[in-house]
Amino acid sequence: MEFLLKYLADILQGFIVTVEMTLFGVFAGLALGTLLAIGNLYGGKIVSAIISIYTEFFRGSPIIVQLFLFYYTVPSLLNTWVDGFTVGLIVFALNSAAYQKGYIKGAMAVISEDQMMAALSVGLSRVKAIFYVILPQALRIVIPAWSNEFCSLTKSTSALLVIAVKDLTSVGNMIASRSWRYVETFLFIAIIYLLWVTAVAKIADKVYERVKIPGIELSV
Amino acid sequence: MTEIVMECRNLWKIYKDVVAVRDVSLQVREGEIKLIFGPSGSGKSTLLRCLAMLTSPSKGDVFLKGECLTKPGVDLNKARARIGFVFQHIYLFHHLTALGNVELALRHVLKMPKEEARKRAMEALAEVKMEKWANHYPAQLSGGQQQRVGIARALARNPDIILLDEPTSALDPELTGEVIDTLRDLAKKGTTMLIVSHEMPFAREVADEMIFFDAGTIVETGTPEHFFTNPTSERAKKFMMRLIKRTRRE
Repeated sequence: MEFLLKYLADILQGFIVTVEMTLFGVFAGLALGTLLAIGNLYGGKIVSAIISIYTEFFRGSPIIVQLFLFYYTVPSLLNTWVDGFTVGLIVFALNSAAYQKGYIKGAMAVISEDQMMAALSVGLSRVKAIFYVILPQALRIVIPAWSNEFCSLTKSTSALLVIAVKDLTSVGNMIASRSWRYVETFLFIAIIYLLWVTAVAKIADKVYERVKIPGIELSV
Repeated sequence: MTEIVMECRNLWKIYKDVVAVRDVSLQVREGEIKLIFGPSGSGKSTLLRCLAMLTSPSKGDVFLKGECLTKPGVDLNKARARIGFVFQHIYLFHHLTALGNVELALRHVLKMPKEEARKRAMEALAEVKMEKWANHYPAQLSGGQQQRVGIARALARNPDIILLDEPTSALDPELTGEVIDTLRDLAKKGTTMLIVSHEMPFAREVADEMIFFDAGTIVETGTPEHFFTNPTSERAKKFMMRLIKRTRRE
């Protein structure tokens, strides 16, 4: 597989793009997904309905379709040129938020039943109760599901190929078509994905172990 | 006569097709201990939650030291901060230690500085003899210990009154004793309390008045002696007989 050596810089570039895209998508998605979960649970009928339409759209359509849609609409909406990389960041954050909203909302709903009443009983407002009582528990419970989301989002970023962003898959495609060595190239690319996803899953496990509190892991 | 701390007038709580609380009026004065008892499902918990404004009453008024809590525009968070509530199923905050559970409202409701909140929380834990367990999480404590933390959480803010909803009935029989001892200590200190409980020897010892509650309403009130010797209503008579028999067996 020595022929890959001369492409090493490209592969590294592609890997960095994939990592950036995934990390941004997952963390921005976590922040937005948390807000969506809160809105969905406590925001009243109209807010909740809007959030449901949002999540159904992102969960119900293929990521490639979403990328195309945003790639061809966002620049004209903003009236300026937006590159594929930025479109990718936006789409993956919005997409991940839709999935993470589901996990977080589920955890919050389970915790809310009695913990919200206990929090109100000591004089906390609803907002403070969410912040100090519900979320710290919900986010801990969600970490394992979150690790799955990370894994799945990493693989989804390969769809960036369709809007010409040079992510890891896209670089692999370029190398393969130049060298005509499809199997070796994509095998190598697959191994990089695998190592990255495994490493992150391990880190997530460690984080989960560290922030775990006796009693909480059993409650869901 | 001492000041009325908590009062409700003609209180109703109606769910879709069930009347949980039916036209209840009662008063608790400073330093008084009143004890509500009656069959399960009779609406005792709902009444207590209405008094603490944890569920809003359908009709009628609740007053805390003369201030009406049921009129619109009342800051309920502020009112709840002045009412201690102890739950049957305890409901400690799972992600916080015993100390954290007691401290939370001191820090974020009463806005005490960190050091002062810690000191006050430790005092409250000491009152229920749980200071040694301050750094344990709820899951690392026994049911009785958890409930004592629940009581400390309720009393740390020096509330005007503490409402206790069957504080011992979810515990194993051998664990109720420690919680009852804690409540007895509070009673000696003159804490104003409204307790739902079926612990009859305890009731006889500390209650100023007992309230027999059935089918969402007050059937009969009187001193413990009245209920133990000569309750008026048939329903109270039968219920007392059963309770006394059960207590003897234990």
